[in-house]
Amino acid sequence: MNPQDVKTTVKTFLLNEYLPGEDPAALTDDTALMTTGILDSIAVLKVVSFLENQFGITIEPHEAVVENLNTLSDIARLVISKEAAT
Amino acid sequence: MEATEIQTADQRLELRLTTAKAPPCRKSVRQHIAKVAEFLVVVAQFGLVVLLVQYWQLESQLLARLMWLAFVGFVIHHLLPLRFRLPFFAMLSLFAVITAVGHLGPNMGRAWLTGKLTTAGFLYHLIPGLTLIGIGLGLIGLCHLPIRFAARVGLVAVAGAALAFLRAHSQWFPDVTEMWVILGSMFMFRLMIYLYDLKHRTAPFSPARAISYFFLLPNVCFPLFPVVDYKTFCSTYYNEEWPRVYQTGLKWMFRGVIQLLLYRIIYQFAPLDVYKLSSALDVAGCMLGMYLLYLRISGTFHLIVGLLHMFGFNLPETHHLYLLASSFTDFWRRINIYWKDFVMKLFFYPTHFKLRKMGTLWALSVATLATFFATWLLHSWQWFWIRGTPLFNWKDFSFWMILAVLVLLTAIYEATRVRKRTLTPSRVTLRQRLVLGLQATGVFSLMCILWTYWSCQSWAEFETLVDAASRPTFREVMIVFGALLLICICGMLWGWSSRETSEGRRTPATRGPFHFWPSAVTVTAGSICLLAMPSVATRAIPDFKNMVARLHGDVLNARDMAQQRRGYYEELDVGGMDNWRWQGAEEPEGWSKGRKAFYRERSDFLLKDILPSMSTVLGGTACTSNSLGMRDREYQKAKPANTYRMVLLGASNDMGTGVKDNQTYENLVEDTLNSRVPDARYSRYEILNLSVAADTLLQRVLRLEEEGFEFQPDAAILSVTAVDELVMASHIRKALIRGIEPSADYRDVVQSVIRRAGVNGKMPAVMIERRLQPYVTELCRWSFQRFAQQCAQRGVRPIVIYRPVPADFSGMESAARSKMLELARAARLEVVDLSPAFDSVTDRSSLVLAKWDDHTTALGHQLLGDKLYDGLVPLLFGSPGQQQASRPKQP
Repeated sequence: MNPQDVKTTVKTFLLNEYLPGEDPAALTDDTALMTTGILDSIAVLKVVSFLENQFGITIEPHEAVVENLNTLSDIARLVISKEAAT
Repeated sequence: MEATEIQTADQRLELRLTTAKAPPCRKSVRQHIAKVAEFLVVVAQFGLVVLLVQYWQLESQLLARLMWLAFVGFVIHHLLPLRFRLPFFAMLSLFAVITAVGHLGPNMGRAWLTGKLTTAGFLYHLIPGLTLIGIGLGLIGLCHLPIRFAARVGLVAVAGAALAFLRAHSQWFPDVTEMWVILGSMFMFRLMIYLYDLKHRTAPFSPARAISYFFLLPNVCFPLFPVVDYKTFCSTYYNEEWPRVYQTGLKWMFRGVIQLLLYRIIYQFAPLDVYKLSSALDVAGCMLGMYLLYLRISGTFHLIVGLLHMFGFNLPETHHLYLLASSFTDFWRRINIYWKDFVMKLFFYPTHFKLRKMGTLWALSVATLATFFATWLLHSWQWFWIRGTPLFNWKDFSFWMILAVLVLLTAIYEATRVRKRTLTPSRVTLRQRLVLGLQATGVFSLMCILWTYWSCQSWAEFETLVDAASRPTFREVMIVFGALLLICICGMLWGWSSRETSEGRRTPATRGPFHFWPSAVTVTAGSICLLAMPSVATRAIPDFKNMVARLHGDVLNARDMAQQRRGYYEELDVGGMDNWRWQGAEEPEGWSKGRKAFYRERSDFLLKDILPSMSTVLGGTACTSNSLGMRDREYQKAKPANTYRMVLLGASNDMGTGVKDNQTYENLVEDTLNSRVPDARYSRYEILNLSVAADTLLQRVLRLEEEGFEFQPDAAILSVTAVDELVMASHIRKALIRGIEPSADYRDVVQSVIRRAGVNGKMPAVMIERRLQPYVTELCRWSFQRFAQQCAQRGVRPIVIYRPVPADFSGMESAARSKMLELARAARLEVVDLSPAFDSVTDRSSLVLAKWDDHTTALGHQLLGDKLYDGLVPLLFGSPGQQQASRPKQP
């Protein structure tokens, strides 16, 4: 899977789950999700579950951090690196 | 050390540092001047904050010294090239450890340089600090041993257990006792985080970073220290332009100073003494006060984090408007974000990830409960390192578990109900604000109750609070409602927060705008105001002087003083002794070892007396009783011929707790009388000291009737003080609980009070005392009348002396003195007011034995003795002129 596909999948999930009614164009690859409070710690857990189920990867507790999950680009990078490792 | 473990991360950091510092090649002169001006303004503000800490004597003298060290260190640190800054900070921190733990101040250095202190004596002071550093470096070294990670963790755990064993037996090493607290504070949690980050290689590692991280400069002054995250510590180092980092630090330090001053106001003036609560409003004030006492932690954390900013550590904000939290999860996120991130990282996420197959809600529930359980255990662990004994009790456990359930319920609610999230900041409607305000009010009220439950020393105290609040008046309800309305409005205005993580990875998009100069002006003007305000205010309003004096230093408030007094008065009460020990933790070993040996219980209304011919230690000083059971010299029971005999009835200060046998004020007066012989009719003067620690007015008068009159006194001196009303209820309470009936003549008045107060011996002690409070004046009045009447019947001259408290920590002396004197005069008693005795003493703390013991010093007894002699002689024997005229010629 390429990074753009990951971003599109995650973006759809986020828009449906947490941002219903929001303009999809406003959610860019670099929109901060954790540092702006769009994703709180409980929402992060759900996103992690989604990523694991959707992409068949395993995310470790120390990887559920702002560097890996703050933007769509960060998430895509994490997923790709995980897929590459497996 | 694995200095190059994470090359890329290290390189990124160095690159960022360089980028942050490096000026543009063609920086204009104007820009350069602007930077210099900004730096000078930062230096000036830092200087003002240091002066504030010193002027208001915040926390300890040690902190003021550390602030000066940090100030000088900051200037050098900033002027150093970037690559030397972190090593310099590490060295400065180690220097602070050595000087602070070893109590090596400038005076010590001066004394050594001038030869007043030997080199051996100077080196001796280095031992605690060097020991701490040695142990610390050893622990860091264990983390980096070239063996399997699990083996390293095992070794660190073994070392930790060994150190904990030594901490529990710190008396084995009297030279380094204080070191354990700081060592524990530095390593007990940070070592866990360090190992975690080392395992996952989430941050760069180097000796300078490790030393800086563990021996953090302000830690030597604060055993309660934010659990700084190692990764955050590394990643936020100069991650923004230095003016912004420094100015943020200054702003937070100033905020910390304000919070510490607010804490002092609350500590000194809020109605925190459960024994004295008389209305529902008092209870509300007490609960609010207990909750707001947390400002001390909040203030010190601001000071600590602000100080670290001055060395480039752009750490996240702590305690962000936590009083306005809109839910319990929000409260948990705001109050101590360092702790929250620590337990999330080490307990919540690992537990949740392990259990995620159970489903999100189950995993969330178990992980939350496990995290709060760990929080409880870790708080006990922290208590152990600070106090030396672990803290395991139901109250703490139930507090953390109640909070866990509240947070969990909110978390489940948030997980199952989709919160409104937006990509762009949207306008908050009035309705949303109102909901937010009401939520903030609800959380605030519940936290007040929960915090009060946690702060009360016993379940009985909490019951007493509820009892005192059980019959609120309409006015009281309206006042409480008004206060809640105010919180609601504040919540509406400032309660909005999207705060989530402390990781400090703010992006330009999420970072708020920064205005250097308005912030600098605010800090400067605020600091100058706080420095100038006391002198200006006391000049304008003289009564303000007392208030400022109480805010100025680290003195105990009325509640804690009463607690100490109460504790002291519970010599024979094991439960009370526990309270006393808790409050008086600083009391040296053996300070009052004779408390139990010196007194014996009685089965009558006097409750106790002094054992005859006993030698022991009270208040750190040798104390002897005579064969008649008085803390006094030997006297014959029958009055010798030509002797003027007086009996003194008082409590511990009159008994002379804390001074030598010949230093008590009554012995000094007796000596002066015998040397000056003010009345020729008498060749000898005796003052028999019948004072017994903790005797109330009722007991003093009863003791006169049952024992004092047997000595055929010519005069009876009843010593009274400002605290006599406060302790009256404890006497009745003890008699009630022990099932002791009042003496025959006292029965009617005491039983009447007991009946009207609605108390009985099965109630909690604190509730009995609280309910008796409205009747203590009546009992004092009756005691004075009884004293006058009994003396008149036996032809004994009754005299009341008012003995001032050595230091008016609670600010209650003036009003209480007037009341006691009024009651004495209403009973037509002659009064010698000793209040001016201490007027000449500027530093009233020199009249108090120690911080943990407010008994009068030898100097205080000397001054009291002089004043009593001056007041007593004209009253009993006429003026000196008359005495001279009536004195027959000596053979």
